[in-house]
Amino acid sequence: APNEKVALEVACGVSLGGGRALCAMKHVGVNVAADPFFSASYSGVGGGLILVSADDPAMHSSQNEQDNRHLARAAKVALLEPSDSQEAMDFVALGFELSERFDTPVMLRVTTRTCHSMSPVELDPNTRYEPVLRPGYERNFRKNVLLPANARARHEAVEERLALLEEFGNSERSINRIEWGDRTIGVITSGIAYQYVREVLPKASVLKLGLTHPLPRQLIREFGAGVDELYVVEELDPFLEEQVRALGLHPAGKEIFPITGELDPDRVAKGFGIEPAGAGIEPVEGSLPLRPPVLCAGCGHRGVFYTLSRMGVAVTGDIGCYTLGSLPPLESMDACLCMGASVGMAQGMEIALRAAGDTRPVVGVIGDSTFVHSGITGLINTVYNGSSGTLLLLDNGTTAMTGHQEHPGTGVTAEGDSAIALDYVAVCHAIGVRRVREADPYDLEALESAIREELAADEPSVIVCRAVCRLVDRTPIADPAELEIECPGCGTCFELGCPALDGSSGQAVIDPAVCSGCALCVQLCPFCGLRIHGHEAVTPESVS
Amino acid sequence: MNELERPRNVFLTGVGGHGVLAVSRVIAEAALARGFDVRRSEVHGMSQRGGSVVSQVRYGTRVHSPLIARGAADILVSLEMLEALRHLHALRSDGILLANEQRITPAPVGELTVAYPDDPRGVCEERVGRAIFLPALDIARELGEEKAANMVMLGAYSVLAPEIPETTWLETIATAFRPRFRELNVAAFGTGREVVLRTAGEGITP
Repeated sequence: APNEKVALEVACGVSLGGGRALCAMKHVGVNVAADPFFSASYSGVGGGLILVSADDPAMHSSQNEQDNRHLARAAKVALLEPSDSQEAMDFVALGFELSERFDTPVMLRVTTRTCHSMSPVELDPNTRYEPVLRPGYERNFRKNVLLPANARARHEAVEERLALLEEFGNSERSINRIEWGDRTIGVITSGIAYQYVREVLPKASVLKLGLTHPLPRQLIREFGAGVDELYVVEELDPFLEEQVRALGLHPAGKEIFPITGELDPDRVAKGFGIEPAGAGIEPVEGSLPLRPPVLCAGCGHRGVFYTLSRMGVAVTGDIGCYTLGSLPPLESMDACLCMGASVGMAQGMEIALRAAGDTRPVVGVIGDSTFVHSGITGLINTVYNGSSGTLLLLDNGTTAMTGHQEHPGTGVTAEGDSAIALDYVAVCHAIGVRRVREADPYDLEALESAIREELAADEPSVIVCRAVCRLVDRTPIADPAELEIECPGCGTCFELGCPALDGSSGQAVIDPAVCSGCALCVQLCPFCGLRIHGHEAVTPESVS
Repeated sequence: MNELERPRNVFLTGVGGHGVLAVSRVIAEAALARGFDVRRSEVHGMSQRGGSVVSQVRYGTRVHSPLIARGAADILVSLEMLEALRHLHALRSDGILLANEQRITPAPVGELTVAYPDDPRGVCEERVGRAIFLPALDIARELGEEKAANMVMLGAYSVLAPEIPETTWLETIATAFRPRFRELNVAAFGTGREVVLRTAGEGITP
């Protein structure tokens, strides 16, 4: 699907038609899907419906670390939190059962560490691991058409459902289970935090919660009464802790365990006041060279950001590999907020700058899949409201940063079948953008003049920069660049931040195994010392 | 079912595209095949774009956390020297460092650029009592494929993990990758194993 809202709507349709549907997205994706999610809670389900929210404590690759358990509670749906691979699988089967039994969508909330870890999984011989259909769809106006009169009655049903789910959570002791041990310490926990607690305090009593909304209050009271000191260990927000406190219990929680970042055995041990078992090797002192991810050698984004960095423009960026254009040495992105935001923000920023008498041009930069996700609506707004901004659409023909998924612009479905490819130029024209052109991101001079021309125009414009992702098509663009003179070490080419160029000796050294022959460095070398076979060298005059 | 007094903690690191994750996957699968409980963790969102990559494997009779506590790794396997330095403190004080001598200079990051350390091996030897260095890249090149350097390192690791027999390693490698790479991977594994057996001997155990 182009975005999470559409994906969840399709899943809701499958559920309405009697099929089981699971719709998976990142935590921030649930924000996009929140509209259907909150209302699907009122309609309930036909076939079981699971929304997987993959939260990212520590923001390994995200723009925030929101705790989506709040969203399950706000939407009043059942919330399951697996703590390892086995539970991640088991809770899908359980989630479908709960969804159908209690007529509710279910949020399965996982975190980076449950997703990006592996542990043994055993299949349950009594579970059928195959699609389940509930045939015999019948129209149900009062349940599925959320007119206010119907929705009011549905809200009543939602509250009744939550009470029944809580009863289930209190009694279903395999999902919410007490592991009695030493009763001087009792720990309430869920998700991956459970594993750290077991690691750090193998003998403590633990209430391990799998169904964390609605909370099994009776079970929590029983556990609290059975231990001397009560703790809540959970990643991110005090979601469980605050509800436990509302029961009149007094657990220790966020005052000793961090609210930011992800937990790990060290942070949990520290909260409990446990010293590390043995000292490890001392870290190497002084700063080591950083090794942040970089745009690949030959990446089509590099020339775009290099050009923008020299134009004195404000750049609203977006989510994707090209966000790396914000880092040194390119450093040519002023903002990156959320998917699709580059377009609307460029429009808004231009309004504010002009009002303040600031004439700096504003350029929006967005990738192809992000444009499809939610850039198109922003562009409609830009045109509709008479902005004259310029949008650079960087089309690398894939969803690169997340692992090269297909999208509606690639002409291939997620399952690898052929599909109709969205025509960006035609879409932009249809929206009302009259100035749509293509520019070669490997030709720095032509690219810069294209951007200058469009910025000067008094109407909205789109420049499509096409260059297939280097990880998708690794065919060399040309032979590797070569140095034909003794490099004087001016450092101009280092400004590209190319991983094929090693400047640590002060002189340019090209790694021919990494160089793709994109020739950006050849275009920049003021001494014409860099050459690529078949590529016309620049003259010293043309670069002055 | 094999026995280990306490879980084996293996911390692996390298540079994106290096094959760190493939090594940690084979270790995890081989341990599972030997009947151990296993946890493996990795974060690889940027792994193909030349960034630092870390993966952790823990196996034993019963393992809970997929993350190793700081200073509690028994073995640090590094596919690159700078990354070995960066993560030395993952090792317990008497842990073993197993490092590929390859150096990969990070792409320039403007004013934040710091020079690559002159003598990373010396720094490692100063701090780690038991360190093994391998020219894994050279060995892999001799075998005809640079990318097999990670399998050379896996072979080296296998000497330090007597709880998993050689046959299990070979069976796991055979099923873990596409058949056309099997011969190469097995050869790289065997060479890495041999080099450590020859130079460090079987006396080294965690």
